[in-house]
Amino acid sequence: MHDPISYFQALVLGLVQGVAEPFPVSSLGHAVILPRLLGWNIHQNDQFFLTFLVATHLATAIVLFFFFLRDWMRILRGLGRSLRDREIGQGDVDARLGWLLVVGTIPAGLLGLVLEHALRTLFASAASAAAFLILNGILLLLFERWRKRAPAVGDELGDHDAHMAQTLTFRQAVAVGTAQAAALIPGISRSGMTMGGGLLVGLSNEDAARYGFLLATPIIGAAALLKLPDLFGSAGDGVRGPALVGALAAALTTYFAVKFLLRFFETNRLTPFGIYCIAAGSICTLIFAF
Amino acid sequence: MTKNRKLIPPAIVLGVLLIVVAIVYFVDNAGALPSFFPGHQAGSTHHHAKHGIAALLLGLGCFVFAWFQSGPARPADA
Repeated sequence: MHDPISYFQALVLGLVQGVAEPFPVSSLGHAVILPRLLGWNIHQNDQFFLTFLVATHLATAIVLFFFFLRDWMRILRGLGRSLRDREIGQGDVDARLGWLLVVGTIPAGLLGLVLEHALRTLFASAASAAAFLILNGILLLLFERWRKRAPAVGDELGDHDAHMAQTLTFRQAVAVGTAQAAALIPGISRSGMTMGGGLLVGLSNEDAARYGFLLATPIIGAAALLKLPDLFGSAGDGVRGPALVGALAAALTTYFAVKFLLRFFETNRLTPFGIYCIAAGSICTLIFAF
Repeated sequence: MTKNRKLIPPAIVLGVLLIVVAIVYFVDNAGALPSFFPGHQAGSTHHHAKHGIAALLLGLGCFVFAWFQSGPARPADA
């Protein structure tokens, strides 16, 4: 009996996952479309594939956490301070950012827990993922058009955590967090929705990206941890080796992708990713149709 | 965020109710859930653990909300 997923396939899917998770181009959409394009016998709802994705997502979450470790330490200390004092102190940006992330994570987490299975089953095909990739691209372009303020000189300077904490209100944090849940549909990007939401409420591109990464870390990590028993149970038989390779590949590319994006968004916009999504989604839709 | 101490008792009651709901989801399978619970399915042996986690998180959220409402009264949020 051969493995359900080969080491080569695991390597390719891991590399793509690591890039596509932080990039606003839908990692799940790419994970669904790519096997179909390459003629691999891998489908989104195959148990072994879901188990494999647990490992790559866990690797992504771990890299994101350690990439922003200094921020997380400040945020966690801020959360602790606010719980001790039973209030968010005046000017305590770490505590405020922490609670903004908490209230942003709750709606996405709840919707994910309740809707994940239904949406995954409903939109399982590569063709639907390609169609939603086009929609994702259109949304990215609209976010740039409707953004609250244009990029300004000096956006890349200063304390980014303070910018985020001072710009976002709790109501806006809930809205941005809820938008993440759209990424349960393959083709819609979690980071695209959070970055777009950040632009709509007045963040710069870099701060929106940074906020999106911070917001994504607990939700990706929790979703992966929730399904981790699958990887070490009988569902993981024959997958654990390729999953490890995929996870290492995803970890590597996530690190470089985040590093690249934070530099990229100092001076650039979501527009190229919007164009890419529309073009890639359109081409894939045509390929799948004929 | 302005404080309103009148919200503390309902938040605690709601939190306790949600924790109880979470326990029911963890303990009972879908067939044994009360019929008004989301996920109830007669005869099913499936455990809706994810519904339980959702209820647990909401319950904890209620407790945290009550905790902050019980804090010092000066406004802390612009």
